[in-house]
This record gives sequence, C-alpha cells and structure tokens, in this order.
Amino acid sequence: MKPSLDWQIATVRAVRSETPKVKTFTLSLPAWTPHRAGQHYDVRLTAPDGYQTQRSYSIASEPERTGEIDLTIERIETGEVSPYFHDVIVPGDQVEVRGPIGGYFVWQASRPEPLLLVAGGSGVVPLMSMLRHRAAARATGPARLLYSSRTLEDIIYYGELSALQDGQASLGVYHTLTRAQPAAWKGYTRRIDQPMLAEVVRPLGRSAQAYVCGPTLLVESAADALVRLGLNRAQIRTERFGPTNLAQGG
Amino acid sequence: MEDLQPDLSRTLRLDANAVAGLLREAFGTEMTATPIECAHCGNRAEVGTLLAYCHGPGVVLRCSGCEQIVVRIVQTPEFYDLDARGAVALRLNRLEH
Repeated sequence: MKPSLDWQIATVRAVRSETPKVKTFTLSLPAWTPHRAGQHYDVRLTAPDGYQTQRSYSIASEPERTGEIDLTIERIETGEVSPYFHDVIVPGDQVEVRGPIGGYFVWQASRPEPLLLVAGGSGVVPLMSMLRHRAAARATGPARLLYSSRTLEDIIYYGELSALQDGQASLGVYHTLTRAQPAAWKGYTRRIDQPMLAEVVRPLGRSAQAYVCGPTLLVESAADALVRLGLNRAQIRTERFGPTNLAQGG
Repeated sequence: MEDLQPDLSRTLRLDANAVAGLLREAFGTEMTATPIECAHCGNRAEVGTLLAYCHGPGVVLRCSGCEQIVVRIVQTPEFYDLDARGAVALRLNRLEH
C-alpha cells in the first residue's frame, strides 16, 4: 500500500515543560502510523480568515509507542507557530498534522555501526527519538551523544538523558555549556569543536554513523570537523534547523 | 535570494529533509532517500543531502558538493513548477501495489 500523506486532526493529550523555552506536546493521532526515529511531522495552523501557515517539527518519541507522538517545540519569539503552541494550546485542543515525513535523517536500532549523535539546542529532539528507540529495542551497540546547550537550565531531557546513560553501559552522554556553567560543572564549557569531537568519537572508531542536528552553522562546522577526523560524508547525516534564533522557522 | 548576503543565506539554509513534505506532495512519494545526480559536478547522493534554501518565494535545492542549483520548485494554487535542469538523473520508487 502506498503510504498516504493526508492531513489529520490530532488531539493534544498532554503538555509538558522541558525548559523555560521548550515544551513537549503529546498528540493522539486517529491515523497513527509507525515512524522511524529522526522523522518529523508537518503542523498546519489555519486562522479564522483562512490564512494558513505550516512548520515541520521533529518527533521526540520512540516508534514503539503506538497511537501517539511527542513533538518537542522550542518557543521562537518571532515565530508564528511555536508561540501559538506555547501560549494557547492546552490538552484537549486539536491541531492539523501530517506525517511521518522524511526518509533520510533516520536511524533504526538494527543498524550495526557505532552511533554518534551531535546536537545543538533543540536539535537534540530527533536524536532523542533515536535514543528512546535504541533503549526500547534494547540495542547494545556503542552510542554517544554530544549535546551543546547555552546553560544548564536550557538542556532538554537532562534527567532522562542521565537516566538512560546510567542504565546503559554502551551509551555515553557528553554535555557542553557554552554560555554559563554551574560551579561544579564537569562537562565541556565551549562550543563544539574538532578536539571535542575527536575525544567523543575516538572510542567509536571510524565506522561510526553520525547524525548531526541543530543550528545550521553548528551542524556545518561539526560535520566538517568529523570529515577531518576521518569519517566519510556518507557516514554523516545532517539536519539543519536554520539560524540559532529561528530554529525550524518558529 | 541573490540579494541576501552570502553569510546570511548560508545561515538560513536547511537540508532537503526540511522540505520532505513538499517533495512528497509534488512527486507523490517519499523523496529524501532517493539518489540524485548533480548535473554540475556529478556528485551522486540522496535528495536529503541537498541544501535547501526556503526563505524565498520558492524552494531552491543545491548540491552539497558544489553548491550549484539542482532543483527549483515553486508552488502555485494549481501547480508545482519544477525546474530540475541541475539534475542528471533521479531514481523514483515505483508505487507499491
């Protein structure tokens, strides 16, 4: 059967605050189909006068969860869609969505290569779907996440990432805080650069499959650094979110 | 788009993955894992590797190797206008029955 890409009306089942600027919305889908970790949904809003606007948001949840998906959305002050989600939407509301979409930036737990995930800000969202999928599938291949945030309170899924790492010897989570760090901070304290990537990727070896997601300039500099460290372009999949302050167009 | 400063344009660009929904509408099938060959440099890679410039009135997809234009798509109320002169070859999935 050819997969359809029809718009459907999802019902918001829950809203959870992740950070001061980021919320997760659980959507119940009448025509749910299993996604692959890394895919996204398009969301369409229609104003009373008929004006429509549309954005793509990465799926945060694992494909093993049936009937519903989590979308984690960063509030972009100048955006049209994310402020609506943050300020207006409450459980029980309905939104128009279509998906899952995208066959390129996807990872399946059956892949044998070591997994390297590199995220900036809300770029962690599709990578979290991969890590949740990896945990649900009980995959044991080596995996590492290098995640750049501005401050400790800006880290999305901080508690869950710590718990995932504590529960899985094969998973390493490495944070860098670029703007401010708490007093006892033991992680990195600068933007992602080649020496940092070298430290994180080295134990994975040159066969690692890399997924890099975040602001465009971060993604491009990290991908270029990985190539200099010996990975082939074909081993590096990227998802650019655009400028830092306009992630996913808002 | 040419009026934008190159640095700004670079900051704004996305991956073709970001327009996967539009591509699926226009082609009727998932496109981002489809191999495509650049007419300018011969680079052959998945559509998802193309650089997407979406801040103009249409979508421009450029080769991630040479950054030349591979595909342009403009949506009108009735049509998708597709200019694919930058692509030598494109392999489309046959519809499943």
